Amino acid sequence: MRLLIELPMSTTPPIASSQRTIAVLGNPNVGKTTLFNRLVGIRAKTSNFPGTTQDARVAHVQFQAEPNIESVLIDLPGIYSLNLEISESKVCSQVLDGKIMPVGESAATPDALLVVLDATNLMRNLSIVGESIGRRLPMIVVVNMIDSARRRGIHVDEKKLSDCLGCPVILCSGKTGEGIDTLVSSLGNAKIPDRSAPTDQLGIERWAQDIYASVSSAPEWVDNDRLTDRLDRAFTHPVLGVASFIAIMTGLFWMIFKLAAYPMDWIDLWFGAAGGWVGNLIPAGPIHDLMVDGVIAGVGGTVIFLPQICLLFFLLALLEGTGYLARAAFVIDRAMRPFGLSGHAFVPLLSSHACAIPGIMAARAIPDKRDRLATILVAPFMSCTARIPVYVLLITILFPDRPSMQAIAFTLCYVLGAGAGLFTSLLFRRTILKGKSRPMALELPSYRIPDLKSVILLTFDRGLVFLKKAGTLILAISIVLWWMGAYPQVGQSDDVITLRAQAASMEQTEEADALNARADLLQTRADAKHSMLGTIGTFAQPIFEPLGYDRQLTVGVLASFAAREVFVSTMAVQIAGTDDVDDDTVLESIANSQRDDGSPVFSKATSWSLLVFYVLASLCLPTLVVTAKEAGGWKWASLQLGWMTFVAYTAAFIVYQLVTMMGA
Amino acid sequence: MINSQTEIKPKSKSIPLTQLTRGQRGRIEYTQAHPEDSSMLRAMGLRPDAPVQMCRMGEPCIVTLTGECGGGCRIGLARDIASRVMVHVDNT
Repeated sequence: MRLLIELPMSTTPPIASSQRTIAVLGNPNVGKTTLFNRLVGIRAKTSNFPGTTQDARVAHVQFQAEPNIESVLIDLPGIYSLNLEISESKVCSQVLDGKIMPVGESAATPDALLVVLDATNLMRNLSIVGESIGRRLPMIVVVNMIDSARRRGIHVDEKKLSDCLGCPVILCSGKTGEGIDTLVSSLGNAKIPDRSAPTDQLGIERWAQDIYASVSSAPEWVDNDRLTDRLDRAFTHPVLGVASFIAIMTGLFWMIFKLAAYPMDWIDLWFGAAGGWVGNLIPAGPIHDLMVDGVIAGVGGTVIFLPQICLLFFLLALLEGTGYLARAAFVIDRAMRPFGLSGHAFVPLLSSHACAIPGIMAARAIPDKRDRLATILVAPFMSCTARIPVYVLLITILFPDRPSMQAIAFTLCYVLGAGAGLFTSLLFRRTILKGKSRPMALELPSYRIPDLKSVILLTFDRGLVFLKKAGTLILAISIVLWWMGAYPQVGQSDDVITLRAQAASMEQTEEADALNARADLLQTRADAKHSMLGTIGTFAQPIFEPLGYDRQLTVGVLASFAAREVFVSTMAVQIAGTDDVDDDTVLESIANSQRDDGSPVFSKATSWSLLVFYVLASLCLPTLVVTAKEAGGWKWASLQLGWMTFVAYTAAFIVYQLVTMMGA
Repeated sequence: MINSQTEIKPKSKSIPLTQLTRGQRGRIEYTQAHPEDSSMLRAMGLRPDAPVQMCRMGEPCIVTLTGECGGGCRIGLARDIASRVMVHVDNT
């Protein structure tokens, strides 16, 4: 620990003159995150461990009890043992050894270790305490969920346990807040245990058993948890389990559409108003265009999806908090096994529904190499949140004002992505990755009412990450795209000059305005066509012609390669540059955009084809980079890109031709 | 199934976990899975002599860790791996 240097001559009180790093360790499902949130509130941020794919939440806190000390709390991944051959265990072990720390923190041995245990499952949890004792770090053992233990008649003797372990022990409940104040005021009392523990697994198990016997008393276990049994049987039932999974997921997405509609409208209106306000403030010229058409239209077109993304994370976190998702993993396992994917792939694939990058990274936890490769290759088929803006745009165009149809279409997008992933896995497991998948073992947490605070904090965290992306990467891409779309500018054509001359010679202002507007439209279309983007679009458009995409859509698709959600902002920038959006809000103006020949850009066939293309295509450069890194070579990333592009192009072509033939 | 009789206490009858019926109790004998799977199961609490009770048979097989664990923590196992966990039936 860094020492607080006392200066006897100083008259001013010291402010956070020393820092203390506290690592928080524990098994999965012990309420560690709830406890962490209770301690630090919204002050935590998610950081990666350099050179690994694991991350942790880190918080810099100055507790009232210790105003001079800044505590850096690190919520480590939940693990059963420090000695397992899995990524989470290795990361925790390296943190305790002082070899790594999350990005932004200097790597050093933690000043203190909080080991969080579940009071209702104390004996098994004691094993990780035994492993930690060997690290000779100042420790505090936190026996969490003491309220649940008490309800079950389990008694834990705090003093005896402290004597046995040789370090402070605190009983608390992250859920109710019981014992939290004592924990905070005891953080400075962490001490290196003055007892030792065996180092071999069998020895630690016996040591844990002996300690458990002397410090805890519990009534003889009685099998009376009929409700949990029934729910487990229902949620993992071959028919009922699948039916409830589909029902829950459909309900989830329906809520995302229904509830998010209101805040989305507000954001849409706000950006529309901001565009008008800024437009009036800045005189016409390149700066005006950059702000209104580049920055506000581009970022507004993406930020509008923040409510849906937050709602998705909120509902998924709620579901996880209830304990349902672990059961769903087995439903998924049964469904995926025939396709050569293990149930271990559930977490990576579920994470991929947020973003393929953390999904592919989570695949490190999959024990078998072929299982892992198969999961990495199919992960980008899962519909990530970056696709949501594109889905929403296209589904809103296809089914305006019909929320139930929108929900079905939205679910179908997810099903199509997952289906393509399963088909890909099946194909690869029969060819380049031959073999069966490894079976799954998972702890099933108790069913409970989710901790709303943790759920909200997680949602807040994810929303912030998305906003940060919108404020940096997407803003930068919007500006570059606007610039590429606006320059080089062409001179006025003869038609435009004639129209303007006619308007100038007229007395009636209405007709003159109409002529001027017509001249503006012709000019901006000419500008757009001859701009850098327009040139690229014109060059690449024939490739996408069989899918029904015009020059503007081709530009949108190509720009998406940096990040999928950029499609919407690209379209917003392009449309804002080619149409009058004074009265239209962002989404409406995109939906009503026209091709150079005046026909709608988003015809029914084109919208369907585009939707299918976005579900299936590998339009994400960062994902390919991560695939190459995680799978161990660019050959895997090339295979992923080649295969996904082939599948997406073929499927979009078939859909476009079919819908066109049906005369829609 | 698994024929190896090594490490089994002479008086107990050892069967795969998948053969326990719903509500039946047993104690873990040993696991004959991939070494990494075995270590994981052991860290999760399915260590030798741990008392278990069958909650759901089939795929997945769900057992509770009973007795000293105090809480009745539940572990779900794919049938493939559950069939490699040997238990002796607790007749009491």
